[in-house]
Amino acid sequence: MVNQLVARDVCFGYPFGPRVLHGVSLELVRGELVSLVGPNGSGKSTLLRCMAGLAELEAGEILLDDKPLRSGSARERALQVAVVPQFLPSLFDVRVEDFVLGGRYARIDRWVGPKAGDREAIESSLVACDALECRGRAMSELSGGQRQRVVVARAIAQEAAVLLVDEPTTSLDPDHQVTIFELLARLASEGRIVLVVTHELNLAAQFSTALAVLHEGRLVARGSVDALMRGEVLTPVYGERLHFGRTDDGCPFVVPRARLARRPQG
Amino acid sequence: MRTRVLSAPLWYGLLLTGLTAGSLMLGSSALAAGEVLEGTGAMLGLCEPLERSTQAIVELRVWRALCTLGVGAALALSGGLIQGLFRNALASPSLIGVTGGASLGAACAILIVGGYAPRLVLESSVGLDALLVPLFSFVMALCTTALVAWIASARGRASVTTLLLVGIAVNMCVSGAFATIQYLTLEEWEVSRAILAWTFGTLDDRSGFHCLTVFASLAVSTLAVPFVARELDLLKGGEEDAEALGVDVARTKRVALVAAALAASAAVAVAGQIAFVGLVVPHLLRLFGQHSYRQLLWHALPAGAAFLLGADVLQRWLFGAGALQPGVMMSLVGGPFFLFLLVRSRREVSTW
Repeated sequence: MVNQLVARDVCFGYPFGPRVLHGVSLELVRGELVSLVGPNGSGKSTLLRCMAGLAELEAGEILLDDKPLRSGSARERALQVAVVPQFLPSLFDVRVEDFVLGGRYARIDRWVGPKAGDREAIESSLVACDALECRGRAMSELSGGQRQRVVVARAIAQEAAVLLVDEPTTSLDPDHQVTIFELLARLASEGRIVLVVTHELNLAAQFSTALAVLHEGRLVARGSVDALMRGEVLTPVYGERLHFGRTDDGCPFVVPRARLARRPQG
Repeated sequence: MRTRVLSAPLWYGLLLTGLTAGSLMLGSSALAAGEVLEGTGAMLGLCEPLERSTQAIVELRVWRALCTLGVGAALALSGGLIQGLFRNALASPSLIGVTGGASLGAACAILIVGGYAPRLVLESSVGLDALLVPLFSFVMALCTTALVAWIASARGRASVTTLLLVGIAVNMCVSGAFATIQYLTLEEWEVSRAILAWTFGTLDDRSGFHCLTVFASLAVSTLAVPFVARELDLLKGGEEDAEALGVDVARTKRVALVAAALAASAAVAVAGQIAFVGLVVPHLLRLFGQHSYRQLLWHALPAGAAFLLGADVLQRWLFGAGALQPGVMMSLVGGPFFLFLLVRSRREVSTW
């Protein structure tokens, strides 16, 4: 049972590029759904890659229950940490079922092959992501939204204790956005660690147990939705063209709008 | 699904048996089926050898057929591995320097046999050329690939793009050296003819040594398949994605590269430049719906063997003694096929 994933003073830069992360510390605890928000280029995806153990850090460390994440093999890591990447190539000739089966790679014995349990995991994760109807098709035949749900399904099928999700809702219609966030919230409440990089501040507000705000490679705030979904916190990060409010049941929301609230005349 | 898996070996078995029988029967001197069977049996020590010249013909044909099978299988397997490694269906073993290295090795061996070496070697050169040329080209092909891999990974982790670019550069150097040898020996009729003939590739006059080289390498490369097949499928999503799923990406690349280089080097060393089989066969398999490397790599073995032997039997049957060497034929057929693939894949991209 994994209890926490911790980034401590993480510094990272791409080769020949500027430094992207300047000493970020972030603690993720079992049962939490943390939404990592921040403007484009603030280093969200990079932090997620670091926390997945996919990047060589310049400084700092990633600890999974106090053990350095990169000390083990890729396979050992995949048993604990699942990633939903932001981009994947088109995957012309990969069938959806085989793609999701990829999530079981670390659990399948090379000499035995997939067992009944693996088939069940694939099916139930496709059901959870409302993508079962895609199972026999090729990845390249799917719509953007179906594809995104299938990619999430693969990570669910991995049955890892930690789920790191990079913008899972960008091509989804509002209803399916809710489906994915509900699913992530349920997985968190069942005792996993879930980190979501997202620009959907309102969905993040409804489903997250906490927000983390990244700005120019530094973590500027981490706390409850109520505390952070405010102009004082987010305006310095996102700029002034945001309008903050609360729904009737008290959930904070934010809408983008022109600085001078101009309305079309007529 | 199950019946298909079960019946595939049966179909391949029938196809390969038929083609082998055809290959043994075809040739400049007509032999009865019984003679061929008896002669083959004699090679295995099962029956009395035939009359000397007939026995010799049968043995030549058996080695030729076996070599062709092995070379076809090795090239197809190597092509499948390389395409998986480069995540590009248009990649072939020539990319990592196998063909160029083999050519240079063969040219060096021909120089030695042709009298350009110290007398030491020359004195014992009777019958040496038959061994020296495949051996040199095999070793040179492996060395060239090793050089490509070594330069590409000199700065830590080698990306596939670096491997590709280094492969192109090293290929250029190697073919420069090869062209230099060709140019300098232009006046030496025998030597330049031998070098030129080698580049066409040949399946004639193969011996047990040739067969042993190609089948031993093929066996070792085949052992790698269970360790890279699933991994190559996952690499389709990119190296980082595969790593996140638990794939040891560096090891997969290493194993696939070594296996591909070994199989292709042996095949090219034995039969000359017919690496095109490596590009074509995986594609034919994809046209028949084998997209996953878990299946494709296994199918590549019998399919490659059948493809090369079938092409060889077909052209010997059609053209008789005037048949082209397999390398020439493969370029004639392979070039248009490559264009067809390019056009097709462009359409795929644009519809996506």
